[in-house]
Amino acid sequence: MSARSRIYRALGLAVPALLLWTLGCAVAWPGEPGDEVREGDEVREGGSLYISQQCWQCHGYEGQGGVAGVRIARTALPYEAFARLVRFTNLMPAYSPKVLSDEQLRQIYDYVRSIPEPPPLEEIPELDFD
Amino acid sequence: MKPDKQPHPDPSEREEAARVNRRDFLSSAVAAGVAAAGAGAAANASARQAAGDAQEPGAMPPTAAQEAMESEIPDGYTAGQAREYFVRNPGSDFMLDVIRQLGLEYIATNPGSSFRGLQESIVNYGGNQAPELLTCVHEEQAAAMAHGYYKVGGKPMGVLCHGTVGLQHASMAVYNAWCDRAPMMLLAGNHLEATDRRAGVEWSHSAQDCVRVIRDYIKWDDMPLSLRHYAESMARGLKIAMTPPAGPVAVVLDGHLQEAEAGDRDLGPVAVTLNRPPTGDEAAVAEAARWLLEAESPVIVADLMARDQVGVERLVALAEALQAPVVNQFGRMNFPNTHHLSQGAAAVAQADVVLGLELFDVWGVINTVRDRVHRDSVRKARPDARVISIGSNDLFTKSNYQNFQRFYPSDLSIAGDAQATLPLLTDAALSGMTPARRASNAAREARWREVHSLARGQALDDARYGWNAVPVSTARLYAELWQVVKDRDWALVSDDGAQSRWARRLWPIERHYQYIGRSGGAGLGYGAPAAVGAALAHRPEGRFALNVQKDGDMMYTPGAFWTAAYHGIPLLTVTHNNQGYHQEYMHLQRMAARRQRGIESSWRVGNELRNPDIDLAGIARATGVWAEGPILDPADLGPALARAAEVVDGGEPAFVDVRCQPR
Ligand SMILES: Cc1ncc(C[n+]2csc(CCOP(=O)(O)OP(=O)(O)O)c2C)c(N)n1
Ligand SMILES: [Mg+2]
Repeated sequence: MSARSRIYRALGLAVPALLLWTLGCAVAWPGEPGDEVREGDEVREGGSLYISQQCWQCHGYEGQGGVAGVRIARTALPYEAFARLVRFTNLMPAYSPKVLSDEQLRQIYDYVRSIPEPPPLEEIPELDFD
Repeated sequence: MKPDKQPHPDPSEREEAARVNRRDFLSSAVAAGVAAAGAGAAANASARQAAGDAQEPGAMPPTAAQEAMESEIPDGYTAGQAREYFVRNPGSDFMLDVIRQLGLEYIATNPGSSFRGLQESIVNYGGNQAPELLTCVHEEQAAAMAHGYYKVGGKPMGVLCHGTVGLQHASMAVYNAWCDRAPMMLLAGNHLEATDRRAGVEWSHSAQDCVRVIRDYIKWDDMPLSLRHYAESMARGLKIAMTPPAGPVAVVLDGHLQEAEAGDRDLGPVAVTLNRPPTGDEAAVAEAARWLLEAESPVIVADLMARDQVGVERLVALAEALQAPVVNQFGRMNFPNTHHLSQGAAAVAQADVVLGLELFDVWGVINTVRDRVHRDSVRKARPDARVISIGSNDLFTKSNYQNFQRFYPSDLSIAGDAQATLPLLTDAALSGMTPARRASNAAREARWREVHSLARGQALDDARYGWNAVPVSTARLYAELWQVVKDRDWALVSDDGAQSRWARRLWPIERHYQYIGRSGGAGLGYGAPAAVGAALAHRPEGRFALNVQKDGDMMYTPGAFWTAAYHGIPLLTVTHNNQGYHQEYMHLQRMAARRQRGIESSWRVGNELRNPDIDLAGIARATGVWAEGPILDPADLGPALARAAEVVDGGEPAFVDVRCQPR
């Protein structure tokens, strides 16, 4: 379980009502790990779409997320949940199939799943605040 | 040692230059004044003579020529007019005396003839000390400097400007200060008496009611018609400005009053006793304490609350007494983020009682509006949660500008200053606490310690993502900046909202002065000048002031860096340069998505600050500030920041341009 979901659990908010409301659906989040990470052309294509479709505006060039959009690098969401968020969420600008085909969305998903793992905390002395 | 990238003007050179400028000013002022009096050729000759004599500071004994001039009657003058030819005791000297008695240490200004009388009094009669003039290259910067200065020092600054064009320029920054409850004394030069105006510009720079352009967002103003009236209005204005909710006030300085002879009348001293901040009603406070004690899960939310460290400590005392979490909205630094009771906004969702302290937006703590075509709203808090609000908002407000946010009918609403009311509330809570309630604190503490530590772990984990990204991730930016500030007595004089709140998430922020809060009205152009004003307030304490500067915001008011260089105000500015109006990119994207038109090819239009790329370091350098950048590779960041920090340690501003991830 991620630290974020442990925070919600400690707050007694298993899936925060507000989150469900903003998602506009009953997607279980944080969810189960998604499919296997893919590689190859699909992923590369997904990387270009990630840029051209402006996903980076809120999620960052490396999917790191921040105040404007959650982290999606190596997302743990299954594809269906991810797709539902992109299509119907009330949180992010909803991308309809008219501007982003199912195939393209899948490629973006494959790409964000494949973003390399960042260095572990122990290797980043600048993040040692103790 | 200071890096030798650029020569800095030697302070003694700067003083010499300032002296020369003063002389030049005196010469031209005397000449201009006489020409305006419509004197004949002889008078002009005398004036030139006088201008020559004025090469020495005004305190020198009068020369024979000067004495002769004072007893002569120039052509075209009556004896009475001749007596007033030279002004012995100008009204503006008294005006300055008042400013001094009220304790204004600085006056930020962009010079203008409508207050040339007061300017001359400040520099010659007052020796440009307490108050000292701060030269600003735009009135908006002057007002924003005053805003930043107040939030650190707790003292108002004077902002001296033309009542017409100057106030027009200042207005947006005044609006920010109004929204952010930052007092300042706006001093506006104007010539009300029409027959007293010089032809031409003096008419364009006069108004019947010059404060009108800003009246919607100041607390009070006056247009005094006598010097005594001025004195009382200044005292009244200061008192009103500082009374919670604090805010800007304006006093018009009539040009004639400034320049005319005040004579030997004793205009009397001026004194002001500031109001003690109002506390909430005792019975209501007792009721609030009862509600908090009865609550299973009380949560405190604080925004524009703490004025100083005392406010922080008072909030800690209340939170600890109840073991209630505090959601700091960081309009001010209200609560140490290292404390186990410092919690994120999600804590509100489980609260049965929410105590709001000086909230900018009570409704927004409890509800939210979805950004979609149908702007429906939903409650974020539990349906049964009761809301207590303590604040000074309702004690003073205005109608036109809607910064007061959506109306929320709190279940218990207490009008009063929250910082002043907190000790009463804490006492009431402690005295009403049953042994059982006290005993429950251990479990509460354990729970919040766990959530706090999970959130801390989450922040560190999140910060790893994009660590080596080019351009630099905002988490990395703040992690690298921490290396610079951690061993110094630091203060962040900017808001980290656009940088995914990484200062708040990563850095230990424990002192009130370490975090300045936001702009208030979200009017851009606030960042640089407010940071310079704040850094000025930090200067006597020897603190290391850091401004993380958004690129778009910087381009409205880059002249503020010149003011920092000119006045030797140490400040490290590091850009969060995402080469665009990023906030607006995201809005455009939302619109395009909603309309199913896409923005693949149009996203740049109206939003990008590229092609040509703006050389932000070049701009800073051109204002006399040591600068480096742009830095793209995160590996180059640490060394550049270290070099810049040395410059700041030497008492000067420095600037590093960093190309960053959007948020
Ligand atoms: C005076 C003013 N003009 C326009 C806006 C609208 N606006 C809000 S955010 C924004 C973009 C600001 O760009 P920048 O300061 O670089 O911050 P970024 O969003 O890129 O991080 C703009 C133009 C505003 N708030 N104030
Ligand atoms: Mg920007």
